Amino acid sequence: MEQVIAAKEIYQQKAVSAWSTYAPAVLAIGGASLMVAGRLQVGAGFITDGALMMLALAAYIFAALFHLTNLYAPSEMARKLGLWAATLGVFFNLSSWLVRWVAAYDHEIAEMRLAGNMEDPWIFRYIPFANLYDLSLAFAFGAGIATLLLARKKNLQILCAFTLPLAALILTLARFIGGEFIDLPPVLDSYWRPIHVGVASLSYGVALVCFAIAVVYLLKDNAKVEAMAIWANVFVLAVIASVSKFSVFSEIVYRAGLFVPNLDGGKPFSAPFRLEVPYVGPALFVAGLLSVAVIGSYLLYLHQNNEKAHMAGNYLLKLALVSQIIAIALLVSGIKGTTEVQSRLQAQLTASPVQYATAGRAIAERQQMTAKEFSSITQSQFEQTGRTYFQSNGDKLYLGLNTNPVELAGLLTGLAATFFVLFFSFRTDKLRERLPSLDSLDSLMYRTACLAFAGLAMLLITGAIWANESWGRPWGFDSKETGALVAWLTYAAFLHTRISRGWSGRSSAYFAILGFLLVIFTYLGVSYLLPGLHSYA
Amino acid sequence: MSAAEETIRAGDLPKANVPIFDRGLNFLSSVRFGVVQLCVLVVFSIIGMLIVQQNVQGFDSYFASLTPAEKLVFGWLGFFDIYHSWYFNFLLLLLSLNIILASIDRFPSAWTYISQPKLTATKDWLLSQKDHEIIHPASAHEQEAAEKVKSVFAANGFKPTVSEKESISYGVDEDGKKQFDNVVKSNNKYVFGEKGRINRLGAYIVHVALLTLFLGHFVALRTGFDADVRMIPGDATDKIQMIQFDLDKKERFEVQLPFTMTCTDIQQKLIDPGGSIDVTNTLDWRTQLKVDDPEYGTQIADVSMNKPFSYRGYRFFQAQTIPVGNARTINLELTPQAGGDPQKMEIPRMGAATMEDGTSIEYDQFLPDFSFNSEGNPDTRSGEYSNPVAVLNVTPPGGQRTRVFAFGSGIAENIPVGAPKLGYKWRLTGFEKAPFAHVLSIKYDPYNGAFIAWYFGGFGLIGALMFVFFLSHRRVWALIKTDDEGRLEIVLGGHTNRNHAGFEEKFAKIAGELRERTAST
Repeated sequence: MEQVIAAKEIYQQKAVSAWSTYAPAVLAIGGASLMVAGRLQVGAGFITDGALMMLALAAYIFAALFHLTNLYAPSEMARKLGLWAATLGVFFNLSSWLVRWVAAYDHEIAEMRLAGNMEDPWIFRYIPFANLYDLSLAFAFGAGIATLLLARKKNLQILCAFTLPLAALILTLARFIGGEFIDLPPVLDSYWRPIHVGVASLSYGVALVCFAIAVVYLLKDNAKVEAMAIWANVFVLAVIASVSKFSVFSEIVYRAGLFVPNLDGGKPFSAPFRLEVPYVGPALFVAGLLSVAVIGSYLLYLHQNNEKAHMAGNYLLKLALVSQIIAIALLVSGIKGTTEVQSRLQAQLTASPVQYATAGRAIAERQQMTAKEFSSITQSQFEQTGRTYFQSNGDKLYLGLNTNPVELAGLLTGLAATFFVLFFSFRTDKLRERLPSLDSLDSLMYRTACLAFAGLAMLLITGAIWANESWGRPWGFDSKETGALVAWLTYAAFLHTRISRGWSGRSSAYFAILGFLLVIFTYLGVSYLLPGLHSYA
Repeated sequence: MSAAEETIRAGDLPKANVPIFDRGLNFLSSVRFGVVQLCVLVVFSIIGMLIVQQNVQGFDSYFASLTPAEKLVFGWLGFFDIYHSWYFNFLLLLLSLNIILASIDRFPSAWTYISQPKLTATKDWLLSQKDHEIIHPASAHEQEAAEKVKSVFAANGFKPTVSEKESISYGVDEDGKKQFDNVVKSNNKYVFGEKGRINRLGAYIVHVALLTLFLGHFVALRTGFDADVRMIPGDATDKIQMIQFDLDKKERFEVQLPFTMTCTDIQQKLIDPGGSIDVTNTLDWRTQLKVDDPEYGTQIADVSMNKPFSYRGYRFFQAQTIPVGNARTINLELTPQAGGDPQKMEIPRMGAATMEDGTSIEYDQFLPDFSFNSEGNPDTRSGEYSNPVAVLNVTPPGGQRTRVFAFGSGIAENIPVGAPKLGYKWRLTGFEKAPFAHVLSIKYDPYNGAFIAWYFGGFGLIGALMFVFFLSHRRVWALIKTDDEGRLEIVLGGHTNRNHAGFEEKFAKIAGELRERTAST
């Protein structure tokens, strides 16, 4: 009990003055401005945007750790360190984005000068909103700065323990995507791009914070950790089932995507073949089975109050965490340790020639054929196309962490979800006591949802106006704009159910979680899974 | 809480004795019905995301990959073009109706916040508010206390109104029970302060913006169309191609323009001028048009990427190029066969130049990858700049017009196309790369529906949402009366429709200042 009181004291002291509470956010932004000034002065010898991104990632993880430890072992020092580590994270995050802006400018200008082109395009052509890497940097910054603004109130600083790991996951995804510069398609060279994508990243960041608050609300509101474990494992199961083109459960095999280098030095091209990574398939299969077992045990416990099932579920959850760690470790080491891609792929294709046809089909789908042309291609022609591609590009194919960014990020997110559920199950009552009150969480959730709703509205409108200015077609139900619309409608439903039906608290929390999942689907799923105008980002 | 919160609750539930028409209207105007429609809209939108739509690139191969049963079922349900299906449009119409009816239904009660502010409140009501406080001033003078409350409210940004109202209460016996025959009348002073009352109308401004957006977009869709036109320098046209999708078939219809367009120039600004003309090496495209309009005369216009040209309800946009290599300008070196210094000149596409001796040179054609076709005639093997040749029409003074080939790379002089002609050796020394043609897309929107929808409706929506979510209607009341012990008391109470945490601080500040000011005298 003493610890509880100490924790409350730490997080409930009155702030010195209203303006001083803005100091972390102001320092982060001011410091990043100085960094970009330094980059402009020093030139290419300055610290790179990639290195700054890694520093931001480390700072976010440290900040989250300080706040997480403070949940169990409260200390004013840890709180301060956590806050300043978060500030440092936002500073590095924004610095990385700004330095990338200058680097992108230098990169293209150098190319132009080398070719004898003395034109000087406007600086906003190079604003880092050109691909998913750039957007991820900005998204994590949006989440970071929203967290710092939230942390103005001391009693809410504990929320950093939940928002910053998510920001760290986004930066991890960015690391996997890779920061190669793309050749900007001219249609993107519009002043609407920074407005539209800037709004997107900030509103996504706010939606992330809203999601974290919703999870904390559920925890505080005595939502059963076992129910959370079920949902976390459903997510893990969905990720494991869908990676490697659904081969983990159907063939107990994991095949990683391959790349072909871009000879112009830009982002490499995705190859139509996938290479089997040894042991990863069975490891993921076991992790998936354990997730099924966790779900089954906890369902039994929740519906029949079966204590044995509860105990079994607790053990299985720990085993699931360990198995996921092993599977990811095998995947990373397998990808990093693979050198002879061509010979291994050759052996794989000899054993299963049908993969040539699959690859040929994927190649044909990239061509702009009519339905008639496409349906006239035979299976043997698909196979021949695959063989021809392998013969001409087999020696260039390579494997890397960057070749499977979404799958890796999905697996890591599943791991983080499992870890957090285990974390929540440890001295849960003490943990609940240290969280802010239900009223303040509910109010905060509502306010952040309002902000996310307004931000998503702005995102949709600015996107439509940009499309109207560039194509004369403000709304075309492109998959990304539909995704954003669906997320916006979900937040609209959240706000209206709150108004008309009085759905606050837990019901609002469920809506906030759903809204964020749809935002994530729009951000990642649409870019990688669905065709459309936004497939570049 | 939303601005509409306090006004929306009433009227959501139909009562049993309400006529069926009213019940229907109540249902149509209910927020519950609106939320259900939003959820159905979400489901339809997700279907449209997951099933590739017929106007999306790659639909053809997707359609071909479906089984006949899938094609039949999805087609019958309209899933390949769900956003233009009758039921999707009907849903949008129903949603608009819901917004209009809900606004009409609830606006009067929201308006009462503006027209009839609640100037007084009972002590019990004030004490039931989340933020309340009782202050006992040092002075027993009611008017003085009211003045102080008024000035504190005003200093904190609340517009104060002082009023007096007779209130009736009942005496209480020794057991604390009310004695209804013992009526106590008293004249109490009230100070009411409020700020941001217009915020109560925020939800309706949001609805108006949304309806403007829907209506503008609907007008643009119904009265306009999409088309495209291919522009090759020198070509003139008064017709454009309208496109309609029917599953995997694209149908084109010619549309007559009320004016004629002539392409006078196309340009592609490249990052590396020596590189390819594909999109990854491009900074911008530009098409120059001459518009001849029998009604409004002639004008010259430029269409660049992100800089469309608008004319009489038609907007012309850069859409794509025909990426067959061509040259916007060519640089020629003409070496006299008889010896002497070579002459250099630059000729634009479709242009001509005259040499010192009066020879006229017309730049007729550009072949990027010169070869002979199956009939033995000069042609291009591909669109790449592998073997570029400028084809010229040369007319010497008093001579005949003759076709001449100027090669870029060294070519044997003993073959007909490479041999000196008309007294000169013709060589292509350079050229500015440009594609064979540009394709402009055209949006016809005679009533500027899209502009009105997205600029007025869209920005209106953003502004209205900001207005709703970032402002609030804050109200404070002070009841100044004498308590049961004969002391003067100020009963303070406050309410806000949003951002309670912020209001709590403000209320505490007001109470603190009031306590300080009333204690000092």
